[in-house]
Formats: sequence, C-alpha cells, structure tokens
Amino acid sequence: MKAFLPLWKRELQAFFLTSIGPVVAAFFLLITGTHFWLLASRLAQGPADSDLTAAFFGSPVFWLAMLVASPLLTMRLFAEEYRSGTMESLMTAPVSETEVVLAKYAGACAAFLMLWLPTLSYPFVLELCGARLPPLDWGAMAAGYLGTALIGASFLALGLLCSLFARHQVVAAIASLTLLGLLLSLGSVELPARLDSVRHLAPVLSVPLHMADFRAGIVDSRAVTLHLSATVLLLFTSIRILEARRLR
Amino acid sequence: MADADWLIEVDQLTRRFPRCEALGGISFRVRRGEIAALLGPNGSGKTTTLRILSGYLAPSSGRVRVAGCDLQTHPLDARRRIGYLPESAPLPLDMRVAEYLAFRGRLRGLRGRHLTVRLREVADRCGLGDVWRRRLGSLSRGFRQRTGLADCLLHEPDVLLLDEPLAGLDPAQVQAVQEWLKEAGRQGAVLFSTHVLSEVEPLCQQALILNAGRLAAADSPGRIARASARLRAELFAPADRLAAALEALPGASDIRLQPIADGWTDVGFHSGPEELSGSLEDLAAVHHWPIRCVRRESRTFAEAYLRLTSALPIVKNPAQRRAS
Repeated sequence: MKAFLPLWKRELQAFFLTSIGPVVAAFFLLITGTHFWLLASRLAQGPADSDLTAAFFGSPVFWLAMLVASPLLTMRLFAEEYRSGTMESLMTAPVSETEVVLAKYAGACAAFLMLWLPTLSYPFVLELCGARLPPLDWGAMAAGYLGTALIGASFLALGLLCSLFARHQVVAAIASLTLLGLLLSLGSVELPARLDSVRHLAPVLSVPLHMADFRAGIVDSRAVTLHLSATVLLLFTSIRILEARRLR
Repeated sequence: MADADWLIEVDQLTRRFPRCEALGGISFRVRRGEIAALLGPNGSGKTTTLRILSGYLAPSSGRVRVAGCDLQTHPLDARRRIGYLPESAPLPLDMRVAEYLAFRGRLRGLRGRHLTVRLREVADRCGLGDVWRRRLGSLSRGFRQRTGLADCLLHEPDVLLLDEPLAGLDPAQVQAVQEWLKEAGRQGAVLFSTHVLSEVEPLCQQALILNAGRLAAADSPGRIARASARLRAELFAPADRLAAALEALPGASDIRLQPIADGWTDVGFHSGPEELSGSLEDLAAVHHWPIRCVRRESRTFAEAYLRLTSALPIVKNPAQRRAS
C-alpha cells in the first residue's frame, strides 16, 4: 500500500484545487450557516425548549447538506479521470485497484469531514454570543456526529460507485443524487399492502430513522453494522469493477 | 541470446472486444538496446498492443513478459519496469509540472533525496526548467508531451512504451524526442507507435507492422524492404499457361501478367526474401519459353509498408479475372 498516501493526498489536493471544491465548500457553509442562523434566531426569542441536538441533526437543512454534499464530493473521483484520459496513466503505474479505490474514497471522506468540522464550533459560538442554551447532551451530540460520519461513509461509497460507471461527472452526480434520494424516501413513503415484505424491511433500511436514533443518543448496532457493511460492499464492488475494466 | 536480454516477449497475444477482435495472435520480441516501431493503419491494433503491454488492458489470451516479469501473474512488478506514454499524453491540468512529476515519482516508490535528484535530472533532460512551476493546463502540446516523457523516464524503467510520441510535435521537438529515444534505447528497450515512416529506418532496429490485428512483418526496416522486392521479366509464352506455371512456383506471390507486343508477356511477382530469378529461368527452360529482361525491382521501406498494409485485393492473373 505504498501508493495509498500519495494518491490520497492527490485526491484532497484535486478537490481543493479544482473549481468544484470551493463551490462545494461554499454551498455547504451556506446551508449549514443558514441552519445555524435559524437556530440562533429561535434561541434569541427565549430559552429553547427543544433539544438542540435534535434540532440540528433532524432538520431538513441537515438532510439537504447530506444529500447534496456526497454526490458533489464523489462525482469527479473516476468520471473525471476517464474523461480526461488520466486513468490510463494512473492504472499503468504500479498501483493496485484496491489502493486506487481506497485512496480516492479516503480523500472524499477527508473532504467530507473537513466540511463538517466548522459545525463543531456552533454550540460554543452560541454560548459565546450569550444565548441561553438548554443543557447540552454531549453524548447525543457525539452520537449525532457518529451517525453523520457513518451515513456519510455509505453515501460517499455509493457516490464513488456511480462515478465509476459514469463518463461525465455531472452524470455521476445525478445518478448518485437520485439513488440517495430514493434511499432517503424509504420508510417515509407508504407502500401498498401487497408489498408487505418490503414494508417490514423499509424501517430497517430507512436512513432518517437511523439518524433519529443517533441524534437521540442511541447507537444502534444494527444501524452501525448496516452502514459499515454497505460501505464495505460498495467499495469491494468498486474494486472488482475496476479490475474487470482491464478485461473489458 | 540469453533470456534476460529479451525485455519484451509477446507470445500469441489476442484481444477481443465485444464487437471485434483487435489482435489475432501476434508474437514478437524486443531485446535490450533495441528500438522497435509499431506501425500500421488506424485501427490495426497498435494502441491495443501498447495498452496490453503497459498493463492497462488484459489480453484475451496469450502471454506477455516485460523485463522477465509475467504481466498476468506479477502485474505490479512488471509495471514498475515500464514507462508508458499514452496517446496525446493526458495529464491532470490542475497540477503544476513539478507537483505532477513528484506525485508520479511517489506512486512509483521514489522518495526523499532520490526523488529530488531524479526530478532534477528529468527536468534537465526534457527541458522543463522554464515551465517547472507552471500549471499543466497552461502548457503547449509540446511541453505536455515532454512532461509525459519525463514521467516515463522518472523511475529509469527497462522498457519504454510510447503511443505516438512524435504526433503533433514541431521538427525541433521531433529531433529532441528521437535523441531521447536513442538514449533510452541504449539502456533498455523502446517500443513506440508512429505513422511517420521516415523516422523508422534511421531510428529503429525492428519494425513491427500490424494490419487488421495481425502481424504482417516483424524485422529490421531494411530486411522488410528487401523482402518486398519484386522480380520482373519478359517471357515469350501464352499468358494462360504462363500464369498456371507461375502459380506453381514455390515462393511466388502477387503475380501480375501484362501481355506486351509480339507474343511477349511482362511478368511481375513478389519473390519474398528468396532469390527466385534462377527458378524463373529454369521454368522458362523447361517449357522452352524464351526469357529476357530479368530484373529485381527493389522497394523502399515505405512501399513495403504500403504493400503489407494494403487492403486492395491482389490481382494474380488479369486473364483469369477477365474469364471469371
């Protein structure tokens, strides 16, 4: 795995050097900043009765950020390499498919975590501004961030797979966005009775329900296992597809 | 010749794509110190061959060894010994020359002082000093090509595989690339594809001519040209009997007959590397056909290439064609 580190650094550099990186970062800061402002406005009206963690991790703005950030972070990973022709140089260097997939994925994960990093300061900023905060449940906050990281990990793995199939990064982003949208709607859509087996499965697979547990401070091992398994499966599939490309 | 001297060994290589067979069982070898040119019309399988040799594509069948490493069983070891320049040298345009080459060096396991020394050497050798801090996106085609070549040379590979390295370069740059190829060819093996036939004879010890996925010739350019020579003669004989007799002459191909005045027939055929003038004279003597003007028509390498890659049907006997 000697090539992992240079590849990972290159991915991070590419993300922040190309126009897409600053755009994603700006979009993300705009969304989370708006969220923060709404939260601060509500707190300014008087002592908050609701749970701050639930308000932060359960709002539509949070899901909008999750839904849009992952496709934008992953769309260029492979699609851009194939479009520009640099994939040929990369895959003829002494690097394995596993190294390439894992390094690109780790680069996207690092960028994802960097985007979320500023939000850690929000409770402290509110406190500094003199907002009368309800007692903060640090355990629930940590579980909320753990859930964000786990869900983000599986979303990014799905985005990476979409990027591997697409020949243009916009197509990769649209495919990833559509699949994630369908995934998020699971559990919230009422399915007909004849799809009884699927109806029972929907809550298990419902990502918003998983997040509801996390923001309440519950780390459900089933949700953790599900997201970790999905991530591993998607990455394994990506490695296999990349290997098969040599035979195509 | 010891096995270690063969840096590229290709044995019965085939590559099938869903809708076509790009390579149909080609075999060739390139030894250390040799520069080989891969020639052929568009779609003949040059890029596919180079992509397989570089490890980008897997073969459908056959065996490829690079610097003694089997590409199927030890792909990473084989790729460590290869420097590959894809067609039109695709580069990440957001990176600077120095960053890109340092990144490529690290991918190949170069680190620390060794990497710094190698970067300085390839920058000097490829004339990249003036653009060292420039973004790749702002470079001319020539400089991008040089950057791609610098990338190939960075890890001092045994084998250089270059897909049309001379395409789109100005005459000065072509000359510079030729010098690099000569230098690289002294230490290792170089295989490059090109359409510029005039560059092949002075530069290459071996020319591999592909046509429709088959290896039409694999030899030195001079021998290929000599092997394409035609034997011409005039015989006093009936055209139909002459055609039948020539068909039976071992080694003769691409036979063309042209009746000329007073019952004489101009005969021309491809004789290959064999000297068939004696056989033709024997044939004339057996049939009591007077013979005159026996001569061997030499061909240039370019003419030989065109003959080997020509898609035109070979006219064996105009008389037979008229009859059919």
